[in-house]
Amino acid sequence: MAVLQTPERERTVGGLPEAAHRPPRRKTPYQAAARGFIAPGVLMVAVLLYLPLLWTTFLSFTEYNGLGDPEWVGLDNYVEMFDDPSFVGSLLNTLLWVAGTLLIPVGVGLALALLTWNLPGGIWLRLPFLIPYAISGIGVGVIWSFILSANGALDQALAMIGIADPPRWLVDAPLNTVVMIIAASWQGVGVNALLFTIGLQSIPKEPLEAARVDGATGVRLFGSILWPMLRPLTAVVVGLSIVASLKTFDIVLSMTKGGPGRASETLALTMYRETFVNSDYGLGSAIAVFLSVVTLVASVLYLRQQLSQKHEM
Amino acid sequence: MSRFLRTATLVALGIVWLLPVYLLIINASKSPTTFTSTEAWIPTDFSLFANIADAMQLSGLSDSVVSTLAYAIVSPIIAVVVGAAAGFAIVALRLKRGFLWFVVIFGGTVFPLQMVLLPLFDAYSRVGLYDTHAGMIIVYTAISIPFSAFVMRNFFTGVAHNVFEASVLDGATTWRIFTRIYLPMASSALVAIFILQATFIWNDLLLGLTLSQSDNVRPIVTTLSGMQSTYGGAQMSTVLAAAVLVSLPTVVLFLFTQKFFSRGLALGQY
Repeated sequence: MAVLQTPERERTVGGLPEAAHRPPRRKTPYQAAARGFIAPGVLMVAVLLYLPLLWTTFLSFTEYNGLGDPEWVGLDNYVEMFDDPSFVGSLLNTLLWVAGTLLIPVGVGLALALLTWNLPGGIWLRLPFLIPYAISGIGVGVIWSFILSANGALDQALAMIGIADPPRWLVDAPLNTVVMIIAASWQGVGVNALLFTIGLQSIPKEPLEAARVDGATGVRLFGSILWPMLRPLTAVVVGLSIVASLKTFDIVLSMTKGGPGRASETLALTMYRETFVNSDYGLGSAIAVFLSVVTLVASVLYLRQQLSQKHEM
Repeated sequence: MSRFLRTATLVALGIVWLLPVYLLIINASKSPTTFTSTEAWIPTDFSLFANIADAMQLSGLSDSVVSTLAYAIVSPIIAVVVGAAAGFAIVALRLKRGFLWFVVIFGGTVFPLQMVLLPLFDAYSRVGLYDTHAGMIIVYTAISIPFSAFVMRNFFTGVAHNVFEASVLDGATTWRIFTRIYLPMASSALVAIFILQATFIWNDLLLGLTLSQSDNVRPIVTTLSGMQSTYGGAQMSTVLAAAVLVSLPTVVLFLFTQKFFSRGLALGQY
């Protein structure tokens, strides 16, 4: 920092001949201006994101229902949380979401990127997968609820090929979570394909040509050249998928409302219900804090992977 | 794999991917009188526009469309300028401890929204911002600022510093340099951020659910969610038409600006 600041002072003195233009305080005029320029951003983020964040953390150690004052109860909410079988069920569902989202959208996204890579018309062939990405979670939920409803579009299609007694897609758990993961994958594959495509396009041509000259094609080319080169990007895609799937809310709210009972709830949904339906602000906040810690750990893991990769290069 | 096989696989998969869209459109086009949920695959009539008009009457959807348009335009514009100002302060004005301040702003997006919902709800109720247009615009702006600051800082880092110094020699004030030189120079990045954030706001459910309740404040996706619960059984084709209406703007915007999106995504990663 000191190294940066010293030349700044000199440059200013040299650049502005009239010392009269300087403000009375002996700093560079830019520091005052710089604080003015950054202040709106810092203020808005501090007031609307950081303050609430601290308040939620505080509330997670209290008993509070919005009336009166929060009452300090230490770790009670956290203990209560892990004792609650439906919280554990919600946690398991969320883990299923994380695993499923890694498997389908990331895997299929990579496959699509490889299939369209260097293919004439690849941009157009990718389009069908990109359309769902722009649709909101509730929009996706409305479409898939309609398809998966009893005697709905899917059941009619199955009946045509002779399957007369299909499972109750949105009622039987954990099947309902699995079909919702498929709906979310329908939405999410395109963006992963796009990210992997950007990654593939940035691979330098020379090693690829060298490998081709050596006769590497298909699986061998992928294993020896493409996969290692895509690894940093894969870490990002995987990290983003984990973080997004931990927060799954819209699709579940739309398709099952977390039901039947609480069988398909995710952590985000449990937090919402405890807070805004049951008015148990302390417990809701504890779930939010738990969700944040898990999300942070996941982000740190992939960011570190990212950074260490950059250091190697 | 041969070129032909790859193309064939992609075409087949693409058709499967479009089936839900096909089902949405043909069933959203059936008038409520001819609609039967047991004949989902065959189109019967084309009443899409009538259904959309009906949907507009339900749950105050038409009010939601207007407010959400306002949120999705006003908030990202403010956020883009605020984020650019932050980037300008850090990079061009060489704010002391600039990187630290950048981390402070960017850190705002690391946590899940669930961490801020309850205090925002509580505080909004106390200061009279709950269920107001201003309240929604403020929260959407704050949420959009960190990403905007992130991209703009990256963008301005690529600008030679003597652009700034030359302007200073010409006697321009920092405000003038920011508005006349740095902002216009960054227009492509500003548009990319605007599109991404506008899409995010248009598709938001959680903040709308938490911070609003009346028809004319509630954002559109929240309204659609409510419609699905209330009318999902009796007026399915109307709800599907509402889903078409809600999805169309972002899908069209996305397809026309794919390049910006991929650039924005690439910027978001590195």
